[in-house]
Amino acid sequence: MDLHFSEADHDFRARTRAWLAGHVPGHARPAHGAEAAQFDRDWQRKLFDNGWAGVAWPSEYGGLGLSGLQQVIWYEELARARAPHHINTMYIGLMHAGPTVIARGTEAQKAFHLPRILKGEAIWCQGFSEPGAGSDLAALKARGRIDGDDLVVNGAKMWTTDAQHADYQELLIRTGEDGARHKGLTWVIADMKAPGIEIKPIRTMMGDEHVNMVFYDDVRIPLSEVVGEVDQGWSTAMATLSFERGLGFIGDQLELYERVNRAIDLAGKTRIEDGRLALEDDGIAQRLASIKADCIAIRAMTLADIAETDRTGMPGPKGSMMKLMVTGTHKALSEVVGEILGFSFLEFGGDRTAHPWTYDYLWSWVFSISGGTSEIQREITADRVLGLPRSR
Amino acid sequence: MYLAPDGEEVEIAAAAGAFLAEALPIARLHKPECADLNVAQRGLLGEMGWFALAVPESAGGSGLSAIEHALFFREAGRQCAPVDLLAQCLAANCTDDADLRAALIAGTQGAALLIADGEHLRLLGSSDAAWALLVSEEQASLHALAATGLSPRPALDPANSMRLLAALPPAEHTATTTSIWQLGQLGTAAMLVGLAEAALDLIVEYAKIRETFGRKIGSWQAVRHPCADMAVRLEAARAQLWYAAAAMKEARGDAAAHLAAAKHLANQAALANADACIQLHGGIGVTDEHDAHLLLKHALLLVRLFGGKRALLASLLHARLDD
Repeated sequence: MDLHFSEADHDFRARTRAWLAGHVPGHARPAHGAEAAQFDRDWQRKLFDNGWAGVAWPSEYGGLGLSGLQQVIWYEELARARAPHHINTMYIGLMHAGPTVIARGTEAQKAFHLPRILKGEAIWCQGFSEPGAGSDLAALKARGRIDGDDLVVNGAKMWTTDAQHADYQELLIRTGEDGARHKGLTWVIADMKAPGIEIKPIRTMMGDEHVNMVFYDDVRIPLSEVVGEVDQGWSTAMATLSFERGLGFIGDQLELYERVNRAIDLAGKTRIEDGRLALEDDGIAQRLASIKADCIAIRAMTLADIAETDRTGMPGPKGSMMKLMVTGTHKALSEVVGEILGFSFLEFGGDRTAHPWTYDYLWSWVFSISGGTSEIQREITADRVLGLPRSR
Repeated sequence: MYLAPDGEEVEIAAAAGAFLAEALPIARLHKPECADLNVAQRGLLGEMGWFALAVPESAGGSGLSAIEHALFFREAGRQCAPVDLLAQCLAANCTDDADLRAALIAGTQGAALLIADGEHLRLLGSSDAAWALLVSEEQASLHALAATGLSPRPALDPANSMRLLAALPPAEHTATTTSIWQLGQLGTAAMLVGLAEAALDLIVEYAKIRETFGRKIGSWQAVRHPCADMAVRLEAARAQLWYAAAAMKEARGDAAAHLAAAKHLANQAALANADACIQLHGGIGVTDEHDAHLLLKHALLLVRLFGGKRALLASLLHARLDD
């Protein structure tokens, strides 16, 4: 056991910190709409132009090829500098679709798509979940029929974040028998401008419209856009999700520590109903300190997991435990901040920039439901970590 | 950067685990007169060199680090070992008197842990201990017990006796250092992590064999999900324990903050896992013959040592960490 970062790691941290100090945008990301998407494109372009795009991508595909530990350093410095959050409209391209194309795509797919993602020119969205297939992804029904050199797609997808801004979609459809579960699925790249695609926003409890339903009516997609083999999409999709379960959330994990310190600062200057500062209330102070300890432990868990993955080359089964720990801590922090802010916590009109704590409180349910609900994460932990008898 | 036992650390942990399972098995706590270390157990531990683990080589110790200390006490926690074990290891670091140190390392003289508990002076450990060890964050002292009046109190935790001292005997040996407190905090956190592991192992093993309504209970989500939560708490506490041990070994400026976080996480994991272990066992879990209540009762003692909840949280609120 040791806590040593190498000289190269220290240098990397120093360079990252210095660059971010001069380049973090002076204005906050707009909360909604095309302006927000444009902000993300501009930031990604700035990262690309300065050699910081694709921290997790191999260098042969234009990325930085960083080790897991250096990615930790990158995300820690982003959080410290309060740089734009990495979960934005670029997330699916950088964290899902790009790595999947790198792992399973054709040379033509790599040559076309990868540079566009890195430069912030292409926004991607996901197309896995459906009205009847969320946690139980293998129940999906959207249908792809082969017709000549095309797939003809009909059906509906659900919870598609940023579909209205996206240029491409990673689309998982059924090309084999109905009801065949994991068999007969295909992972294909959809052009979001293709005829027959209709997007309907879903308004969430935060009051925004980031997620959508997407409907497909005889949408033609060339077979050359299939990533991996036709009918082998489950394998491709598991590769996609393994990137997310490996390193996709380290930014959130590490950012929590910055957020709890901000909450402690907030409690040190906010008066509660009896006139005392919130931090003078033992209940609030103890909960904040306990959450801070959890955040410190989350960093240790992150480093332990990533150092292990750097050594073995394979993400272990601990990602589910990490997600449970991170989402639980996020919610606990949001709740105590709600108590600190009292009635002003209830001043909220859907604007994340103006009222970030309330927005993040509401978002804590999105966090513990999306990407595999907490219940599914407990199932995965019971099966793969504890080896308990299967429940289904 | 690596945060799990590695290389020789794995071997030391395995050796400690095998030795303690033989010398101080948790099953001993189902027998009468089981509290504390007896003379034979202390002698055997001394002979094997376990009390010298964190004593510098120049002072006749093994010269191993905080990491090996944590590895050993995690195994001790799995067996609900008495806190004498920790007191003895810390006492050996508390004196420059070579003869006394040698006797403490060999286990021929015993040390018990003294707790200044408001108006009470509580002694945890063997009645034949020659020394009481009192540790604060800044210093540690050894007090001779020979001429002191001791009144026994009933003890919830069968692993240790509990006695009250009439008055504090003068300190005969004093070490002005934060490191003994830190070794105590790390050792206690490690025991709590071992205990939280033992609680999870007990219920997972049972859930694989016990059947209700024609199914193994481990296939019911009402059992699986609390087990998963136990695993999460344990994973967080264990990762932070290793981080704190390495931070202490490397004398990092933020070691004290990492130790406080490790103790707090370990306190929570041990108590919650011991609780869930009893509940998920059902009726057998509340019986005296089962180990589950032993874990809970021992956890209740350990969470009060070397930083209880209030003190730990007060120190963590404004703690600053290095990169």
